[in-house]
Amino acid sequence: MIPEIGHYALVLALGLALIQATVPLYGTIKRDESLMRLASSTAVMQLVFAAGSFAALTACYVTSDFSVANVFENSHSMMPLIYKFTSVWGNHEGSMLLWVLILALFGGSVAAFGNNLPVTLKANVLAVQAWIACSFYFFILLTSNPFLRLARPPLEGRDLNPILQDPGLAIHPPLLYLGYVGFSIAFSFAIAALIEGRIDAAWARWVRPWTLAAWMFLTVGIAMGSYWAYYELGWGGFWFWDPVENASLMPWLAGTALLHSAVVMEKRNALKIWTVLLAILAFSLSLIGTFLVRSGVLTSVHAFAEDPSRGVFILGILVLFIGGGLSLFAWRAPLLKQGGLFAPVSREGALVFNNLFLTTACLTVFVGTLYPLALEAFNGEKISVGAPFFNLTFAPLFIPLMFAMPFGTLLAWKRGDLLGVAQRLMAAFAAGIAAIALTLVATGTQHVLAPFGIGLAFFVIVGALVDIAERIALFRAPLKASWSRMRGLPRSAWGTAIAHAGVAVTLIGITGAATWGTERIVAMKEGQTITLSGYALTFDGMVQRSGPNFRVLAGKFTLREGGSVIGIMEPSKRTFGARGMTTTEAALLSRGVSQLYLSLGDVNGDGTVAIRFYYKPLVLLIWLGAVVMALGGALSLSDRRLRVGAPKPAAKAANSAPDLQPAE
Amino acid sequence: MSLWLAFALMTAAAIFAVLWPLGRRKAATGGSDLAVYRDQLDEIARDRADGRIGEAEAEAAKIEVSRRLIAAADASEARQPAVDTAAPAWRRRAAALIGLILLPVGAVALYSVLGSPQLPGQPLAERMASARQDRSIQNLVSQVEAHLEKNPNDVRGYEVVAPVYLRMGRFADAVNARRKVIALAGETSERQSDLGEALAAAANGVVTVDAKAAFERAIELDPKNLKALFFIGIAAEQDGDRHKAAAIFTTMLKDAPADAPWAPVVREALTRVGGTPPAAVAAPAAGQPGPSAADVAAADQMSEKDRGDMIRGMVAKLADRLKEKGDDLAGWQRLLRAYMVLGERDKAKSAAGDARKALASDPEKLRQIDDMIKSMGIEG
Amino acid sequence: MTRKQRRLTLIGGSLAVLGIAAGLVLFALKDSIVFFNSPTDVVEKQLAPGTRIRVGGLVEPGSLKKGDNLQVSFKVTDGAHEIGVHYQGIVPDLFREGQGVVAEGRLEPGGVLAADTVLAKHDERYMPREVVDALKKSGRWQEGEMKADAHVVGKKP
Repeated sequence: MIPEIGHYALVLALGLALIQATVPLYGTIKRDESLMRLASSTAVMQLVFAAGSFAALTACYVTSDFSVANVFENSHSMMPLIYKFTSVWGNHEGSMLLWVLILALFGGSVAAFGNNLPVTLKANVLAVQAWIACSFYFFILLTSNPFLRLARPPLEGRDLNPILQDPGLAIHPPLLYLGYVGFSIAFSFAIAALIEGRIDAAWARWVRPWTLAAWMFLTVGIAMGSYWAYYELGWGGFWFWDPVENASLMPWLAGTALLHSAVVMEKRNALKIWTVLLAILAFSLSLIGTFLVRSGVLTSVHAFAEDPSRGVFILGILVLFIGGGLSLFAWRAPLLKQGGLFAPVSREGALVFNNLFLTTACLTVFVGTLYPLALEAFNGEKISVGAPFFNLTFAPLFIPLMFAMPFGTLLAWKRGDLLGVAQRLMAAFAAGIAAIALTLVATGTQHVLAPFGIGLAFFVIVGALVDIAERIALFRAPLKASWSRMRGLPRSAWGTAIAHAGVAVTLIGITGAATWGTERIVAMKEGQTITLSGYALTFDGMVQRSGPNFRVLAGKFTLREGGSVIGIMEPSKRTFGARGMTTTEAALLSRGVSQLYLSLGDVNGDGTVAIRFYYKPLVLLIWLGAVVMALGGALSLSDRRLRVGAPKPAAKAANSAPDLQPAE
Repeated sequence: MSLWLAFALMTAAAIFAVLWPLGRRKAATGGSDLAVYRDQLDEIARDRADGRIGEAEAEAAKIEVSRRLIAAADASEARQPAVDTAAPAWRRRAAALIGLILLPVGAVALYSVLGSPQLPGQPLAERMASARQDRSIQNLVSQVEAHLEKNPNDVRGYEVVAPVYLRMGRFADAVNARRKVIALAGETSERQSDLGEALAAAANGVVTVDAKAAFERAIELDPKNLKALFFIGIAAEQDGDRHKAAAIFTTMLKDAPADAPWAPVVREALTRVGGTPPAAVAAPAAGQPGPSAADVAAADQMSEKDRGDMIRGMVAKLADRLKEKGDDLAGWQRLLRAYMVLGERDKAKSAAGDARKALASDPEKLRQIDDMIKSMGIEG
Repeated sequence: MTRKQRRLTLIGGSLAVLGIAAGLVLFALKDSIVFFNSPTDVVEKQLAPGTRIRVGGLVEPGSLKKGDNLQVSFKVTDGAHEIGVHYQGIVPDLFREGQGVVAEGRLEPGGVLAADTVLAKHDERYMPREVVDALKKSGRWQEGEMKADAHVVGKKP
């Protein structure tokens, strides 16, 4: 009964989405308020049914109901409970259901908490949101239905793809989807504004919290994905420039640009057309991200769903929304009025600079990801564009961007004083140069670029501190005055500084792991000891164990530093019977923010075992930086000003969690 | 709570979401951009008071925002009010009708195409509890596994557990068990073909190179090994060699004893590869009226069209008989299969309905015919 | 500055950045892309030694040899031709004889590939897409036999 209830709930959600997509729109044309109000109630109910449907599928997984084909194909009764939950979205059908659930969640949130929006804008936004929802409900029901049944259920399921049986994957896709799908709200706002033919500074403020929330989730989601690949794929890389990773990076770059251009629009009523375009692009890139993963056009580690016929359907959705959105943009954008003026050297100018570099970086990633496809389509030549391409194009664009970061936050609106700002950044310059010098002394001149990376990072971090210090007039005013200013400082100012510092932290991690990392790949005999960067690793022997739905072959290694034992490392291989597959589980040992990484290769006939042993200095900073960035975003999101404009702010603000109800 | 009651409640909730806002007659409570600009002015004042921005800067910003505020206020006056209070009631009625009629009818229609309301949910725990047989299988398997762990050279243990593995979908284990049997007890035709079957099952029914090798070996050992012959035929079919497949299946059927239980499967396979079963209904089960040997012999001599006509005639005879004497499960099954083979899906569909009616009094037979209708995709 | 001048500055700056980016992209594309070849392609195209390529096909049964110090050598075949590959390091979990494989590296004189990356099938049901294409070309692929998909499983950084 449960699977059929889930199935019917999905159908009803589609029905409500169809009403939500049409009736309110008609209402705004006819200025009929009851029809517009229909948008909110249907959006909330649509969320209820989407959630019900998802809950039903989850229940089928948890109870191992193999009469549901999807459960049979991706689950196993012996699987630990947590993976019964995560395998709901560890497959194509379930992950699409999660996709629409999150879509409905954002729609429902706008309906419930968007009281500060004008009625027509709200109705239009929800209608556009429902168009997207409809197309995905149809996609699921017609091509990827997770509720198809088996008349004679088998006794045991086929198990979840073992490489996906991992806690990292448990949280990674939902976060990523919260990010991808979150940009749908920005898209809906942009389309609604184009439909109304009216857009102004207030629009930017309304759209900002949603963009910020999506950006935050995407940031953490990308970081989680990167960490997952780092320890699960067994060779210690943290970013592969894999098409699927690029697919998540592109919307992040566009979304970051959108966040910044929306600031200009909110404050100065400028860059309006550009901001609308970015909002359309950010979601378009999210859709392309979905398309790349779902259609199997690109091949990659993450592509666990591949079926070209679905690809055609998604291609249709892509053409409809990206093509439709951009056409509407081309048609209506000239109607939008020009905004405020500014000099090239100004806060606005700096933000334009930011946008320019971010979108260009996004463009190079786009080219690198899709060029092989285009080439193959044209002349059948198959090529692969790997890390060297991206390192060569992406890095040169990101370095000036980061260098300009501290300047941007200090420049005044309208017309800035570059020299004055440079003077105020003296402390940051000093910190950067000191960091370069210290790094050179500590590590020698072997890697010339690395000290500059560290220096740049320190420049940005101290620059962020200078920004805060300047705002509260630290050392210029009495401490007490600075204290009171600090307390009065809007949270978004803190958020900016923290997020910028987070970028620098990530840069330190990347620089450290990429330049000073060491590795050894050897075949070890029992009792043998090898050394790497001052650590001695002794192989104590192999052990066999059995897990819930797999068998484990683990190696026991003792790690010593300076003669004393600092830890036991147990890298292992897991063999999953149901699919006859093996996964490699690396052993990690953290030393501060650095890590030692050990993974197993083959056991050879002569009793030796092949191992990879890496020392990854500062590597944890990569993901820590992302968390700091997201933290900055969260702080910014909790800013009181983002909730302004609701008719009854006091009544509801009291019981609202700031992170979840940004637009109250 | 029955499934249909749940559906009814859900539909009611969905309709409510549409009707509820239509019923309320309350003025709009939307926000407006004026509030945002007023807040921006407040913020500038606050920043100025705390000394975070300079006097001139604050003044300029204030002027700019005020200008925006005035423009927005003007615009909202100049524009038509967003809400027309005198909206005609027919629009709301139309929207209510959409919610009341279109929504439920559309949802039920779409669901009835996609859903399988007749299938109950079957959580594993429930199945285990209700079917003690299954549980005993689980127990048996774990007992045998424990036994084999201690006596890894016990051929019989592997022979017992291998088919069970296959049924449980543990194909890799089945393959291992079959290999073990051959390694321990030597190969026979039977064992090789069993191994091949497990290998094919593990590859989702594809006869892989390994599996084919096993079947070929099995035939070397015993040219009459039916399982091996059948799978070699399937392999030929998968390789796209329909003629070879048809030849193999035809030979198998020619040599088949009259009541061979596997004959229908082979016949089905033969039809699939485009061959005509030499004796489509030539193997009448005991007590089942079927065409006489003479009819069949005649069929061999006929042209393609005549043969089709004859088969159709026989099917019609069967259908007539079932109309009179409806509790014949095997008869219904044959009729449905015949319609599907002849490509007459509509007739199959209506026959499926008749069969359900005719067998309604016997739940066991009804379940079997339901299963078959489902598995053949007659109503899909 | 007038409005027009400002806009020109903006557009000029944007074009400059885009131009630099385009230059970088073209430069990088010229230097850091790798072409995929089937063993037949390698033999027929007479590729020069030192060329960086990817080769995909099946690991020829019986050709896999393991040496000391994690040396591995094997042959990649597409049914029509074969090419020798040697590699030092740990091969992926699913690297087996008779299975699909993609190797990337430099072609040595004598037509042997010195691989620095070996990718293998990720799941029993999947095969690297490039391998599927190569096998299709040489007629050894039956449509529908397996689903096409490549998965990176092992890689030497």
